[in-house]
Amino acid sequence: MAEFPSVDWFHAVRSVFNEHDEYHGAGGGACDTRFGVVVEDDVYALTMAGLRCVDAVSISADELPQLDFYLLMSHGDWRVMLENIRDNGRAALDQTLNTIDLDREEGLAHSAAEDQYKQDLFFRYNQTLQHFFDASSRVETSFSDSD
Amino acid sequence: MTVKIKPRPEGRTRRMGESEDVEIPEPQYAWMGKSHQWGTRVKAGDKGLTLGSLNVGHYAEVPEFWEDQTRMPRGSVAGSAVVPPIGYSVRHKSGLWADCAGDLYEEAIQRRWVPTTDLDWSSVEPLDDAVERAMCQLCTELIQCANVEMESIASWQEELSYGFHEVKQFLATVTFDDARHMDAFRKRALANGGGLGVESKGILNRMILESRGGWTETVAVMFLQRGLLTQTIYKHGVGFAHNAAEREMFSRSMQDKARHLTYAVEHLKYAVNHNEGQGPILNQVLTIGEGMLIAELKDPALRESLMILLAGSLEAAPSAGKAAFEGLMGDYLRQYAALTDWIGVSRDDGLPPDLARYLEA
Repeated sequence: MAEFPSVDWFHAVRSVFNEHDEYHGAGGGACDTRFGVVVEDDVYALTMAGLRCVDAVSISADELPQLDFYLLMSHGDWRVMLENIRDNGRAALDQTLNTIDLDREEGLAHSAAEDQYKQDLFFRYNQTLQHFFDASSRVETSFSDSD
Repeated sequence: MTVKIKPRPEGRTRRMGESEDVEIPEPQYAWMGKSHQWGTRVKAGDKGLTLGSLNVGHYAEVPEFWEDQTRMPRGSVAGSAVVPPIGYSVRHKSGLWADCAGDLYEEAIQRRWVPTTDLDWSSVEPLDDAVERAMCQLCTELIQCANVEMESIASWQEELSYGFHEVKQFLATVTFDDARHMDAFRKRALANGGGLGVESKGILNRMILESRGGWTETVAVMFLQRGLLTQTIYKHGVGFAHNAAEREMFSRSMQDKARHLTYAVEHLKYAVNHNEGQGPILNQVLTIGEGMLIAELKDPALRESLMILLAGSLEAAPSAGKAAFEGLMGDYLRQYAALTDWIGVSRDDGLPPDLARYLEA
């Protein structure tokens, strides 16, 4: 079992995502970006190259401007989304990255670099990013006690 | 009838078949050896042999102004024969360029999808009558928008200089994306006991089709104003989708639209930064487009169908649906304001009240 959030958890999801062709099919495909996942004080950088997620590391918040964009939610909101994915095998309509970004007043995707081109990558690669998190349904996950 | 070709000295001609009268020259291979940069050997990288990776040495020289008036591929040797000019109207790089065009072309090719087989049409099940009618009306309007974009780009292609081939190739993928969107939304409208609804007045569509002032101006109205609204509807469509087919249809279309918008934003920023006076022109074009959009929004078909879909029922449309529609417009206009700021043609103080009011939604 891998605990969210942790580098081990992202590596576990990365393995599932890379190994299953269903996550790379139509509308998905090649994706080249380095993006962040921010869970309160924990910050992770994920590197997507072609059809694979090639790296997941822990970084400091100071490094966020070096990323294309990052996804920011509270631990509780991440947990709701990931439990929804676990229960359904994929995100239900109100828990997709796109819908969460729309529904939250502060949004989900941000860019510390204030670069519109980088921010737009969230939507250009949206399907792949969704597939990545949907792959977590196949990873036995526990949650830290942050909430 | 026989064809006579001017006789040539013995040894430089040969006869064809049985005819004594037809002569063709011996091959001279004069074209061989004519190249600005022979011996080029681009290697595939991690991402394969991409369009952008071919821009090496002589082939990487993208001129500020494309002199040639034929269809000479960039980097080739101009033909010696006199070729009648085939006029391009967009010959300045600032009139169409975006640095990302080659990458966007690759992305469009790699991330393509097929509505026929990639959407789970078996997931479409009967809906409440009013909701089905609203979905079909929305599909009708989205088909119209995609068709207008496709036609507009196709009519502009011959005006865009071949020297900037990355842009032309990317735009070719946009027309294909548009065809795909027409395909997907038409299939949805006809797959669940409904049918196509009423034609939109298409006031903004008409402006796009008739816009001949410049490609940059067309990009501003077609991709930034209209395209961003379409993308915002797609984004919300993911939320109000009733089945897997609709969800995938909206989410994949949204992704396609994001590429179009990226080209638009990057090109408009490039044009403003490289073409003195472009900013005020764009501001004026956007002002006109905003007026057209306001007029178009008075047509109830799109607004009311969205209200029903966003609310989930006819009964909730006047209250929750209206609020949700205003929220959608707010999302659209906030993003519009952010993008125009980024491009350098801020609309913060120029938005007409009929649009600005949605910013508070």
